[in-house]
Amino acid sequence: MADPQLKKKVEELIAENPVLLLMKGTPEMPRCGFSMRVVQVLEAMDVEYGAIDVLPALQPLREVTAEVADWQTFPQLYVNGELVGGADIVEEMFESGELAEALGVEQPAVTTTQQAPPSPPLQIE
Amino acid sequence: MIEAALPGAEVEVVDETGAGDHLRATVSAPQFGGLSRIDQHRLVKAAVKERFDDGQIHALSIKTEVSG
Repeated sequence: MADPQLKKKVEELIAENPVLLLMKGTPEMPRCGFSMRVVQVLEAMDVEYGAIDVLPALQPLREVTAEVADWQTFPQLYVNGELVGGADIVEEMFESGELAEALGVEQPAVTTTQQAPPSPPLQIE
Repeated sequence: MIEAALPGAEVEVVDETGAGDHLRATVSAPQFGGLSRIDQHRLVKAAVKERFDDGQIHALSIKTEVSG
């Protein structure tokens, strides 16, 4: 069973951040290719997002997200409190324009720009 | 395994590394109709959960489509 305090914290973060990425590493230094792909999509969309590095508490966070969203692998992108998906889904929705719609932004003309500076990482503890 | 869990599904699995533990699956199933992508992926993951649990698969990339 997930740690109730950690679960509460994660639920608060999901509620407080309209766009929240649970990832391995940070936007500046992703520690996993899948996490990096989602960061690149978010940067291309030019949206503000919160990012949390799950590596310091990987197993406890897996247990939390299993309960919160029935999903245990990272990255996880939450938009308006709902889990949208991991790298595969995010890229697919990016390419189809569904992600821009979910985020309420314009679909960018160029698909992989890296102009905006990455959002600062959030601290989980 | 996926076909057993989702009758009528068309499944194509590619072994990305040649070692059989990093797979890419394209699944087209009538059951996906009306579901969000995340729910479609949940169905596929649930179908192969045993293989993850016993360590035969380490990574699975999923692409889903609605068929039928």
